[in-house]
Amino acid sequence: MPISHHIHSDIVLKRKHSGHYNVQLLIPMLLLIGIGIVMVYSASSTLAHEHFNGEYYFLKKQAFFAFIGIIVLIGFKNFPYTYFTYLTYPLIILSLVFITAIEIPGLGVEVNGASRWLNLGILTFQPAEFARFVLVIYLAYSMSKKENSIKSFSIGFLPHFILLVLFALLFLHQPDFGSIIIFGALTWIMLFVGGVPIMHLLSPLPFLSGLLFVLMNQKPYIIDRFMGFLDPWKYASDEGYQLVHSFMAFGSGGLFGAGFGQSYQKLFYLPEPHTDFIIAVIGEEMGFIGVIFIITLFVVILHGGIRIALRSDEPFGSLLAMGLTTALALQLFVNLGVALGLLPTKGLTLPFLSYGGTSLLISMASVGILLNIEEAAT
Amino acid sequence: MKSISTDNTKYHIRRRINFVSCFFLLLLITIVFRAGYLQIWCASSLSEKAEKQYEKSLSFYGKRGVIYDRNLKKLADTLSITSIGAHPRQIKNKKTAAQRLAGVLSESQSVIYRKLSSPKPFVWIERKVSPAVSHNARTLKLNGIVFKTEHSRFYPNKTLAAQLIGFAGVDGTGLEGVEFAYNNVLQGGNGKLTFLKDGRGQRFESPNHDKQIKNGYKRELKNGNDLILTIDRNIQYITEKVLAETVKKHQAKSGMAIVMTPQTGEVLALTHYPAFNPHAFNRYDKTQWRNRIVTDPFEPGSTMKIFSAAAAIESGQCSPNTSFYCEKGSYRIGRNTIHDAGSHSFEWLTLHQIIKYSSNIGVVKVVEKIGKDVLYNTLIQFGFGQKTGIDCPSETSGTLAPASKWKTIDTAAIAFGQGIAVSAIQLVTATAAIANHGIMMKPYVVKAITGESGQLIQSFSPTIVRRVISETTARSVTEMMVSVVRKGGTGVNASTDGYFVCGKTGTAQKINPDGKYAKDRFIASFLGFAPAYNPRIALLISIDEPTKEGYYGGTVAAPAFRKITSETLDYLNVEPDTSGAIDSGLTASLNRGPQG
Repeated sequence: MPISHHIHSDIVLKRKHSGHYNVQLLIPMLLLIGIGIVMVYSASSTLAHEHFNGEYYFLKKQAFFAFIGIIVLIGFKNFPYTYFTYLTYPLIILSLVFITAIEIPGLGVEVNGASRWLNLGILTFQPAEFARFVLVIYLAYSMSKKENSIKSFSIGFLPHFILLVLFALLFLHQPDFGSIIIFGALTWIMLFVGGVPIMHLLSPLPFLSGLLFVLMNQKPYIIDRFMGFLDPWKYASDEGYQLVHSFMAFGSGGLFGAGFGQSYQKLFYLPEPHTDFIIAVIGEEMGFIGVIFIITLFVVILHGGIRIALRSDEPFGSLLAMGLTTALALQLFVNLGVALGLLPTKGLTLPFLSYGGTSLLISMASVGILLNIEEAAT
Repeated sequence: MKSISTDNTKYHIRRRINFVSCFFLLLLITIVFRAGYLQIWCASSLSEKAEKQYEKSLSFYGKRGVIYDRNLKKLADTLSITSIGAHPRQIKNKKTAAQRLAGVLSESQSVIYRKLSSPKPFVWIERKVSPAVSHNARTLKLNGIVFKTEHSRFYPNKTLAAQLIGFAGVDGTGLEGVEFAYNNVLQGGNGKLTFLKDGRGQRFESPNHDKQIKNGYKRELKNGNDLILTIDRNIQYITEKVLAETVKKHQAKSGMAIVMTPQTGEVLALTHYPAFNPHAFNRYDKTQWRNRIVTDPFEPGSTMKIFSAAAAIESGQCSPNTSFYCEKGSYRIGRNTIHDAGSHSFEWLTLHQIIKYSSNIGVVKVVEKIGKDVLYNTLIQFGFGQKTGIDCPSETSGTLAPASKWKTIDTAAIAFGQGIAVSAIQLVTATAAIANHGIMMKPYVVKAITGESGQLIQSFSPTIVRRVISETTARSVTEMMVSVVRKGGTGVNASTDGYFVCGKTGTAQKINPDGKYAKDRFIASFLGFAPAYNPRIALLISIDEPTKEGYYGGTVAAPAFRKITSETLDYLNVEPDTSGAIDSGLTASLNRGPQG
């Protein structure tokens, strides 16, 4: 082992005894959550004022979720992550149950023609967010258990691919095409990191191409979205609407932004200003500088997550840390990519910043687990 | 063994994690570049596009001015109509508010309560309420209840003088007639308010936005000025009534009539039948909107003979007594043959008689004597072929070709009113010049412009155009026109009890689409003034395509002339010339002229 690793482990050991909390993860996370609460308020106050009898409606809820999130984070920080190996299969079954439950009338909540929320009486809950978290645990567990047989197609690749297809089929029914892409990318990256040979990873390509062709014929809304993505100004009144208004928000913000609370696009021009398109409101109010600042905070968090993955002593911890970090990274890339017109429209929140309880709790739970992996890494 | 395997696995995992990290970095760089591209490179074009969708402009006008007749009777007015709305969020006790509003409005309490409970920022409670209702609602002094006043153009006499007055559109801009021609005077001051709208089109305030007009919304806008027309509502009414009766009686297509003061050029009445309802102008064909008296040229027919006669006398080459051989009713010029109307076969007639009996051949002979240049110059003097300059939109100049282009047959035709197109306003203005001792006045319909409190801003006084013919010539032509309405004359039906009147009949053949004269489609007209020796009104009445109970000007239009003249002179309190009926030339020849 390299010498630097020994030194590092000693420091971690010392810090562990003094009740250490990793500042590299926690400070940017708390900053993002704080900015998130403020920006959720800015983006939603008019909407909240008119539809929920109070401009602080979303702010209060988001602050409450953040508070719960901190408890969850502390809980997972002190929950030995190795116990997840025993919980993997129950969690998979639970997530499948949640996704299936969306189909049950009265439980599923339909928003914009797609059912993605589960109504649990007191709160609504997004099963896809939970399932993504479970997928990471499962892949980390499964691959760490298989060790060298990971190179075998039927052991290392096929079972993981089959679970992915199962999720995909369920999402297809909602329909939630975006989650399929995210789950696919997440699975591929984790299988790659876990040591699955490149040829195995490329093997489903012919099958996927055929599937894509069938999908485009059966779900024409995917093509519409894609056209709106390619030339949003031409489809500015329908498919390109969100994108065009997102562009205008970013452009109006310029380098330094219009100032806090000064976004006009959030006033019923830009759809979902406090959830999927919160970065556009930040871009308009805080400018390019603000966007860079947000991205920097994420880079620090991702770097911290990757460092924990690299430092973990055993494959499960390493793969789990990398998987959780990758899930956050993918969410960041897709959300920003969509708002900036680099990817077709997809309803995905920005971790820590967007309004939404499920997203915030899962993200904070991920950080808690990362901290636990770090503490165990000696 | 286990340890080695783990270390080996860890090594591979680390390598691949580093690879994935590089991939993430690449994606992040792409995202940052893209953000920079949108926020720095495209910033100005994108923010410009955004600005455009935020801004919404509204134009406001002050109250449009009133149009009065010459006696200050309203012809067009602007009513303020109030609508009542509410900002539901500003109303604390919605139940009480609904209950109190229901007491004064026609809506029920439950309906009002439902509207007040709306989540929308603004709702209409009741639109276009009466002044009394809005007054009562105002006295409730409820918070959150607003009163919005809109202006609506109102024509109290409905169709009266519709084509002359025209109408204003929903936005309060004059579109036809006087409303159009004097739009700048009538229209109030305007204000444009640019405000910011959100994605739903609702207004929002932003202290940062420099394009907002300060206080633009609250600013009082100047009201428009009022117009006083030369029109007399009563004479207009008389004229319209008689015209409508005449058109209906003879089952004609349409009709028009003008009454003018010869000494000033003031138009007292101007009408076209059928009219349209200016409150619902959209329900009528556009062709019915225009003021045909001013805009439409037509072939006048025999009424033109008085101007040919005037030319002959003014030239000094003829006197009213000069005789012409009338060829027994049929006169050949080149390939064309000219006939006299009916079965007349006159031999020798004086100029005076030619007018009285309306002999086509006679007047052709007269014009042959004086020459085409004299006729042309006189017609130009009378204003034909040129606009009169009346203050109504889209005036026609008619058609009068220069004399150099007239062939022999053209000269003959023009002498009795064919091959020339004139407007009704030209005809009556020219006739008024004869009535006014040879001096032609410019016709006009607006007498004065007054301000909001009635103060005079501008008055329009009569304008002399020129002396057209000498006083003596005017007198001679008047005498000929007097004889037209006497026993034996073509216009005997125009003679009016108690007054000497004078005029000339016209029965113009209409032209078929193939360019030939129709045998069964006529314009029957009567052009004259009254009283003949102390004229108060010049009048033209023209009936298009009468199909029943005659078609001659003397049969169709002359009786209408009599009725209008009789009622109008009575209304104007003009002292009668004699106390009885004037049905022979005796009185006139004894008192006035050398001619019978």
